[in-house]
Parts: sequence; C-alpha cells; structure tokens
Amino acid sequence: MKTAVKKPRKKRSLAVKTRLFFIFTVLLLAGMILLSGFFVIRMERQEYVLNESKEILSVLSDNIYTNIQRYTELSRLIMTDSRVVSFLRADGSKVDQRLVDNARYGAVGVLNVTEMVDSVFIFRDDMRYTANKRSSYSLDFEKIESESWQNKIIEQKGKAIVSLNGNDAVFRIDGSPVISICRAIYDVDTQERTGILLMNFSTSMFEQRLEKINTPDICIMGTDGSFIAGNRKLKDYYDNDYDTGEYIYEIETVKNEDMLVSAVKIPDMPMVILSVSPIRRGIVPNMTIAVMVGVLMLVLGMVFVISSFITKNITTPLFEISTSIESNREKGVLEKVTVDVTNNEIGMLEDSYNNMVDHVNELFNKLLEKEQAIQKVEMRVLQEQIKPHFLYNSLETIGYLAMDAGAEKVHSALETLGSFYRIFLSKGSREIPLKNEITIIKDYLSLQKLRYGDIINDEYDIAENTKEWIIPKLILQPLVENSIYHGIRMKGEPGVIKISSHIEEDGLHIIVRDTGVGMSPEKIEEVLNTEKPQVTEDSERSFGLWGTIERIRYYCNRDDVVKIRSEEGEYTEIEFILPKKGKGDRNVQSYAD
Amino acid sequence: MYRVMLIDDEESARKLLRALINWESLNMEVVGEAASGIEAINVIDEFKPDIAFVDISMPFMNGIEFTELATKRYPNLVIIIMTAIDQFEYARKCVSLPVFEYMLKPMVRSEIYSSLVNVKSMLDERNKQESEQDMEQDLENRDETGESSIEQIKKYIETNYTDSKINLTSTAQNFGFSASYLSRKFKQETGKNFVEYLTECRMNAAMKLAQNNMKMFNASNEVGIPDPNYFGRCFKKFTGMSYSDYVLSKTKPDEVK
Repeated sequence: MKTAVKKPRKKRSLAVKTRLFFIFTVLLLAGMILLSGFFVIRMERQEYVLNESKEILSVLSDNIYTNIQRYTELSRLIMTDSRVVSFLRADGSKVDQRLVDNARYGAVGVLNVTEMVDSVFIFRDDMRYTANKRSSYSLDFEKIESESWQNKIIEQKGKAIVSLNGNDAVFRIDGSPVISICRAIYDVDTQERTGILLMNFSTSMFEQRLEKINTPDICIMGTDGSFIAGNRKLKDYYDNDYDTGEYIYEIETVKNEDMLVSAVKIPDMPMVILSVSPIRRGIVPNMTIAVMVGVLMLVLGMVFVISSFITKNITTPLFEISTSIESNREKGVLEKVTVDVTNNEIGMLEDSYNNMVDHVNELFNKLLEKEQAIQKVEMRVLQEQIKPHFLYNSLETIGYLAMDAGAEKVHSALETLGSFYRIFLSKGSREIPLKNEITIIKDYLSLQKLRYGDIINDEYDIAENTKEWIIPKLILQPLVENSIYHGIRMKGEPGVIKISSHIEEDGLHIIVRDTGVGMSPEKIEEVLNTEKPQVTEDSERSFGLWGTIERIRYYCNRDDVVKIRSEEGEYTEIEFILPKKGKGDRNVQSYAD
Repeated sequence: MYRVMLIDDEESARKLLRALINWESLNMEVVGEAASGIEAINVIDEFKPDIAFVDISMPFMNGIEFTELATKRYPNLVIIIMTAIDQFEYARKCVSLPVFEYMLKPMVRSEIYSSLVNVKSMLDERNKQESEQDMEQDLENRDETGESSIEQIKKYIETNYTDSKINLTSTAQNFGFSASYLSRKFKQETGKNFVEYLTECRMNAAMKLAQNNMKMFNASNEVGIPDPNYFGRCFKKFTGMSYSDYVLSKTKPDEVK
C-alpha cells in the first residue's frame, strides 16, 4: 500500500511556474514596448528635428530674402536720387570732384536709413565711381572693368542680383564677407543704361537675425563655401550640393551622435542656410512619450491585475484545496475541504471533491456495515457450530458414563475440560480478573499434562494483590501454549512453566517463563516488531506470539509494554506490563474498597 | 436430612449430579427428579424439597418460569439455577428472584459442593430460628368447614384442571389452607391424593380426547399438561397403555364395525 501513495508534487510548482511565466511575459511585453517606443521616439524625434529645422530654415530663408528685397527697393531710391542721376547723366568730360561728392551725398541718405548697408558703390559706364563706405574696401578694378563681370549685371536689365563680395570684385579689407546687390542703372527719362550700383551689406545683418533665433545650430554660408554668419564650426558640414536643391537634409553620425544636417538655398541668392542639429538633443516629443509610458503602465497594470487575479482566484485556492486534501491523506480521515472559494471553476472543483468525499465515505460506511454484518453472521455461524450446550451436555453425559463405569479420572478430565471451555468459549466480557485467567491456565495445563504427561510442570507465583486486576481475557493462555509447543516440547526433556505476577510503580507485571529451547535474538526482534511478520512455515510461532503481543499493545495503547528475555537452550521469559493508569487504576480502587 | 430435587431435562445431568455429590455427608438426600417445569409443578408437592436444582433451558416451561412460580408458592425453597455461560447473563437479567445461586454448566464437583455447604449452613441456621419460634399454629382448627370445602376444592379442580400451573400448594393458597393440611384432609375425605385426583380429572378428559383421535401433543395441552413426555407417562400409568395404543384400541372397533 505504501508504495501506491505517491509523494505529492511540490506545492509551490504551480505558483512558481505561473509567476515565472508572468514575470517573463511582463518583461517581454515591457521590452517590446520599450524597443518599439525607442524606434518610434527616434523616428518621431528625427521627424521633429527635421520639421523644426525645415521650418527654421525656411523662415530664415524667407526672412533674409525679403530683407534683401527690401534693400533692393532701397537701392532704387539711390538710383532715383537727383544728385546720383546727375552724376550718372553728366558727360564724361564734365565729371568733376563736385559731381562725385554730390552723388556720394545722395547715396548717404540711404546709408543713414539702415546700418546694415556697409557700402554703396555707384559706377558710371566709364568706370568712374562714387563710394560711400563704413569700412575700408579694396576693389578689383580689373574684374570690374571686365566685360564678363559687367555683362552678368547688365543681362539682368536692371533687376538686382545678389552676390557675395560684389561677385568677387569688392572686398572688405578686414576680410569679412559682404553681401552685394548689383544692378544696372537705367536713366529714368531715356531708359538708357547709365551705370552700375553696388550695394554691400555686412554679415552683421545675419548675425542679428540669428541672434534673435538664438540657436547655435545654424550658419549661413556662401554657395562658394565661404562662411558668412552663424556658428563658424558648422561650416565644415557644407557640401556643394546644397546650392542646388531647395531643401536638403541628411543624417550624419558624428562622434556617435546622429546629426541632422539640413540646408536651404536662399532663392536668387548665392547663400545657403545650414542647420546641423543633434537628433537626440532635440526636444523630446512629450506627447508620444506620454502615450508610450501610459501604454506601458497600462500593460503592466493589467499584468499585475491579471496575475494577482490568478493568484487570488486560482493559485491560492488550488493551493489551499491541495493542502486540505493532503491533510486528509495524512489524517487518514476523509473530511470535506472547506476553502473559501468564489463561485467559479475552482469552487466547482472543491464541490466535486467534497461530493466525492461524501460518496467515498458513503461507500466506505456501506462497506463497513456490510463487513460488520458479515462478521456478525459469521460469528453466529461459528457459535452455532460450537453449540456450547451440546458440548456441555455431552461432557456431562460422558462424565456420568465415566463415573458410572468407575473411571473417576476420566470424569475429572472431562470436568476440567468443561471448566476450561466454559470460560474459554464465553462471549461475555472481554476483560476478566487475573485469577480467572489463572484458572483457565490451570485447567488448560492440567489437560495438557494429561496429553504430555510429566513433561510439563507448572508453578505459580501470583501476588495476592494482583488477583483482582482486570486483564484482557485470554492473553496468558496463548503465551503458555507458545511455551509448550515452541519451548518445552521442542527440547525433549521435562520443563517448567512458571507464571508470576506482581505490582510495580508502572503497573501490573505478568511474567511467563519456560525452560524451553529459548529464542534467538532475531526471533525476538521479529516477534517484537510492530510490523506483521512474513508468514513462512518457520514463522508460525512468531505469528501467534506476535498476535498476542499486538493485542496487549493495543489494549495498553503502547508499544513498549512487552519484554522478552531468553537464552537459547535455557529459557524464555516474556514479561508484559499492564499500566496502572485508566482501567487499571479504576480496578485497583474498586477492588480496594 | 434436607430434601433435594433435581429439575433438568437431561437425564444424564440429573444422574451425574446425583452421583457427583456425596449427599449424605451434607445431611442431604435426593428425593426426586423432574424432566420439565411442568412435571416439577405436578410432583413437587409430593417430594416437598428443601433445595431444588433448576436447569434454565428446559422445554415447555423453562427454569425461569418455573422459578417464578416456585418462589411464590414455596418461599422457603432454596433454588440453585444451573446455566450454561451463554444464558448466564440472560438469566441474571430476567430473574430478579430470590435465587440462592447461579451455577455454571458444565458442572464442576468442587463448585457444587462448596455451594451446597453454604446452603446447608443457611438451612441449619433457619431451622434453629424456626424451632425457637415454634410455628405450630396449624390451620387444623378450621376442621368444621372441612367437608364442604373439600367439595368445593373438587369442583375447583374439575373446572380448573386445564390450567397447567395449578397444584396442591396453589390450590391450598387459594382456599386459605396450608398445603399439608389440605393434602391430609383431601385424602381423608376423598380417599385419594390431591395429585391423583387432579391427574384423574385430566386423564379422563384426555381419554375422551383420545377417542376423538386427537394427537397426543394437542391433548396434553388441552388437559393442562403441556409437556407431552410427562403427559405420556401419566397417561400410561393411569390407563395402563400408551396414548397411541389407547387411540388405536379405541378406533379399531369403530373400523371393525
């Protein structure tokens, strides 16, 4: 049976598995969310930075463009100034210092309107010119006088063109670049070309603008790659491609940092606004992150809720039910499981189990009743078979016959047999006083002596105060029987069976001693073992003796009440103690009265 | 000498008990036996025992029923119940009767002997007291009313013989006589024993029933001796032939006719 009961699996397995599974799931989910979030945020950022730079650049570009346009308008004012006109109209021979100075004054008014205008040059067709300057310039006359340079301007037919450093002919001495508006001047009346206007702006105009935006990510470059304004460090990012398209961007990785390099050419001008901004450093798209975090929290929250739901409604009740069932097995009693479970499948499981327990108990009780009924019937049958009346009457009849025939010995043997069976077969009480048990033994031994003659001698040493002790019926007789059949008779020479009793602190001691063949230590151990011995041919003795010892143990409800002392070939002594407490006590008192 | 009666359906048990004990040494004498309670009731007045051994398990009237009757009618009778162990508890529970002792069967000489020693000493003691009190106030002074009352008693017997429980003592108690007085007076007046007269009534009735071809066990019941064994003996003693023979003898002539 023992092997059939499997050790229950470890209790924690379900909970641990579930938890591990959930932790794994949570981690996976969180990881996925973070990863996708990372990419989304990265993209979002990129786009954001892109958009931002695009917007800044286009605004800036527009701004500069309109600014320049405004200055272009301003240049028209210069052209229409009467003093300038007269300078330009004057015949070559009549051009004198006065005319030149007058023209210069005419242009100064314009210069005074804005500080941005660094210088104004007005060239006559014959290359005589007047100049208003805030800084020192060097002019490349060779270039200015060249046809190609002039043609570029003339081709525009009065429309202003914007260039750097007067299309590489006008330079500030200090080396800082200027933005030039060049246009051909036509006479108002004659519509003939009279000269060329060169209006130069210092880069401070851009610096101011950029300062307003207050960003270090932008610089303005000439299409020739020269630096104009802004963050000078950025000029290395310039690429010649930038003056082609309208808006260009690319992502470059510099020092492990993603940079958005974007550029826009200012329309009609040889200038490019370059923006280099790190994508990471860009402003975090709050909304997106908030959504992501929100989703993450939601998922985590759900996972937590689900896992706690599972723990509360599945794992814990299952664990409790399992514990309860397990305790049933340990107790050996089938009791219903009472776990507070909500009305779900686990509750159903509990109900099913309890129903099963009911059913099993019912079956068990039925079986028990049946068994008891069968036992009763069998007992009755057995008793019927024994029919004490018939036996007794027969004994008396034969006894009379024996007496009548003068066989007094036969009669006395029959009388002893009758006396023995009278007690032996009595069903009445299971417990009798020690003296009655001794009577049984005496009758039994006197009958056995008839069979085996002088081989058995019996001695008694029964203390007076033990005679009324109540002992379980027929516990001595099997021991005496054992002494005869497995002790003395095996030895082949006369032996003594001695029964003695006395009272000690711990209760009534009864000792059955025989001078038979004795018992080996292994045999003693086998007999004293609480496990039922294996039934073999050789173990008949062990079994009968074991049964009696078990009865005594059962009666005393203790295992240590029987001792066996023996010397092989010499003697066997079985001593048992019936403790005072409980029944023993009561008896002692009642008999003391 | 104390008179001992043995009531047991087992003949061997009665014989054994007789042989087992050296009665004389106890100043006792076995004066009679009965094989059933019914028989005992009919013969007890004849034996006048001081001590009765009663077996519990007997047919027709068991030891307990008999004891119930006997303790009412014979308050001085010492009753020793013999019982097998399987009826011991039953006997103890059912009988709240002044039984002297319950003895286990099968009998053991030493036990019975020691019990009888006790009985003897008790009876000795009782006799001493009785002789001191001198209970010689007999009811014989009712002599005058004797004749008519005997007639009444005869009538009583003739009408009540079917009651299996009546006997001399019960009748005497009914009419307020002592048993011994009634016995003596009855014999004087009628020339017959009380029991003889009662049996005669019953047997006459039985003979009539036998002529009607009634089976013996039915007839025995009808006439107040429900123990057919005892009835059979009575019938044979009375008629000189067994009941079945009697039935045959009475039916054959009819058939011949």
